[in-house]
Amino acid sequence: MILRRDHVAGLVFVAAGGLVYALSDSLPWGSLAMPGAGMMPKLVLGMMIVFGLLLMVRGSTSPPLAETDWSDLGHALCVIIAATLATALYTTLGFVLTMSLLLFGLTAAIERKPPLHALAFSIGTALFAYFLFSSLLKSPLPRGLIGFF
Amino acid sequence: MEATFDSLLLGFSVAFRPDVLLYAFLGCLVGTLVGMLPGIGPLAGISILLPVTYGLDATKAIVMLAGIYYGSQYGGSTTSILMRIPGEAASVMTCIDGYAMAQKGRAGAALCIAAVGSFIAGTFGVLLLTVVAPPLAGFALRFGPPEYTALLVLGLIFLAYMSSTSLVRTLLMASFGLLLGMIGIDVLTGHFRYSFDIPELGDGIGIVPVAVGLFGLGEILSTPSKTVTEKVVSPRLVELLPTREEWRQSAMPIARGSLLGFLIGIVPGSAHIISSFLSYALEKRISKTPEEFGHGAVAGVAGPESANNAASTGAFVPMLALGLPTGPVTAVLMAALLIHGVPPGPSLVNEHPQVFWGFIASMYVGNLMLLALNLPLVGLFVSVLRIPYGYLYPLIIMFCIIGVYEVNHSVVDVWIMLIMGVVGYGLRKFGFDPAPLVLGLVIAPIFEMSLRQSLIVSNGSWTIFFDVNERPIAAALLAVCGVLLALAALSLIRSRKDWRNKLAEAEGPEGANQ
Repeated sequence: MILRRDHVAGLVFVAAGGLVYALSDSLPWGSLAMPGAGMMPKLVLGMMIVFGLLLMVRGSTSPPLAETDWSDLGHALCVIIAATLATALYTTLGFVLTMSLLLFGLTAAIERKPPLHALAFSIGTALFAYFLFSSLLKSPLPRGLIGFF
Repeated sequence: MEATFDSLLLGFSVAFRPDVLLYAFLGCLVGTLVGMLPGIGPLAGISILLPVTYGLDATKAIVMLAGIYYGSQYGGSTTSILMRIPGEAASVMTCIDGYAMAQKGRAGAALCIAAVGSFIAGTFGVLLLTVVAPPLAGFALRFGPPEYTALLVLGLIFLAYMSSTSLVRTLLMASFGLLLGMIGIDVLTGHFRYSFDIPELGDGIGIVPVAVGLFGLGEILSTPSKTVTEKVVSPRLVELLPTREEWRQSAMPIARGSLLGFLIGIVPGSAHIISSFLSYALEKRISKTPEEFGHGAVAGVAGPESANNAASTGAFVPMLALGLPTGPVTAVLMAALLIHGVPPGPSLVNEHPQVFWGFIASMYVGNLMLLALNLPLVGLFVSVLRIPYGYLYPLIIMFCIIGVYEVNHSVVDVWIMLIMGVVGYGLRKFGFDPAPLVLGLVIAPIFEMSLRQSLIVSNGSWTIFFDVNERPIAAALLAVCGVLLALAALSLIRSRKDWRNKLAEAEGPEGANQ
């Protein structure tokens, strides 16, 4: 049997639905006359599991999983790692420093742009965005624990 | 009718205020850029810029955000015609004949026809919106919880029926969105649901981090810079005027596209995408020279471009009159109104006439602005397309983080955006359209509240939804649901090739896999 895209997708939703259903144990169902906090989530989870199963059952018409194009996965992983680090450091280092590092990392390290161009672009853009939001739009951005912007 | 005219005058008195004009202009300008740039669609653009509107009043905020929405429909055609890359999904059909016209040296004419068609369709859509929305809002005042429940069920089924992917996939995505919308404190009982002791999750998951993650970050993750070409044809100003024959060929497709687009726009689903496809199919079918389609047919540009603009205006009818989003973009616009303390829905026209009519009048003005922006400044916009993608996407990521953080000044929202970005990437890989997920997230609280209220009122009896004597509107809406489900089942049983398969074929191998 060829493993197809919808078999995997359906299975993921069925498994996720089952897991969340197990986590919903403490939520009361209530009664029809007085529905509890758990009624709607459990109904929706039921729907999700049923549609996941349907997707699996009808999965034979979907393309084989092996044919899925993952050529962009490397790029996606690099961007996710850079964005995760930036999010983790955002309030600690402050906006300007974090964003300068993020932009420099993406342009110089991942996109292989000339380091000087990348540096000027990163610092200039981060400073411009900081003053745009903080000064012109009066919407403060994090300055960071070390007080640097 | 006289009352509508007087109200519209009130709207124009608001729309012509210099500050409102400025924000309408900004919205149209940003919308054009958002529509042109591959990787950020109107939804991501609106979501990212939503926090910028917090300091504005409700009228200016909605005028600017709506300007981004319908502006993006104009801008999307530029990239399609000049680069054969749809700036946003609704411009897929324009790529086919628009780019073929550009290859024949008629890029300027194609851009002009697209802009004029968009202007006519947009203005026609606003005219119908002016006439249709107020009486519909009056009618919707009769709605109670059962009617709203039935309407939301109908909306979901319509969405699934009209969606560009399969019925099961759409309903699966909508269920996922509904589930995400139930995270947080249950307002009726005070129970915490799925908040995992994270205080920020007590208020639930916001639409902005989810939308920006799915549509902004998710798109960037699946678009490596090597796949984005920066080769652009730049037409000169003198080349913009179509010939008399080209005008003649575009007149009727524009008229048909405008009407078709508006009608489809009212229906929940990816209306602006579907309308452009149906308009293309219609024009090809009734054309005396169908063989020209795919090789630079003027009608292949004029029809779809008009249809997607009229559809984006039509989508405002249920949002303004019923308080129901027909797609993720209108859902974010609804969220924007709510943030500014203006609940959209039947009471909007009476309780906030300045916002309602000011918004409608601003759309007349906005369409004129877009026509003025898109034709003479096309050369300037084209130069934006020359920014290397390697610099552009880091910039977009930065604005995604700023936009999401600024909503609540919470890093938890940024984490949610990141997670949803990864989810969006995965969903694309497995052929899912994430739009119904966002719609499910938005309607979840309304849906749950109206369903539970209906059951409490009826003392637990489901018959409240089907009682023809007591609740004829709810019963009628659910009857329509039944018909739609039956039609969908029939189509499944017969395994008929419907418009979804044809759309997938038109989009190429990637689309065909969906």
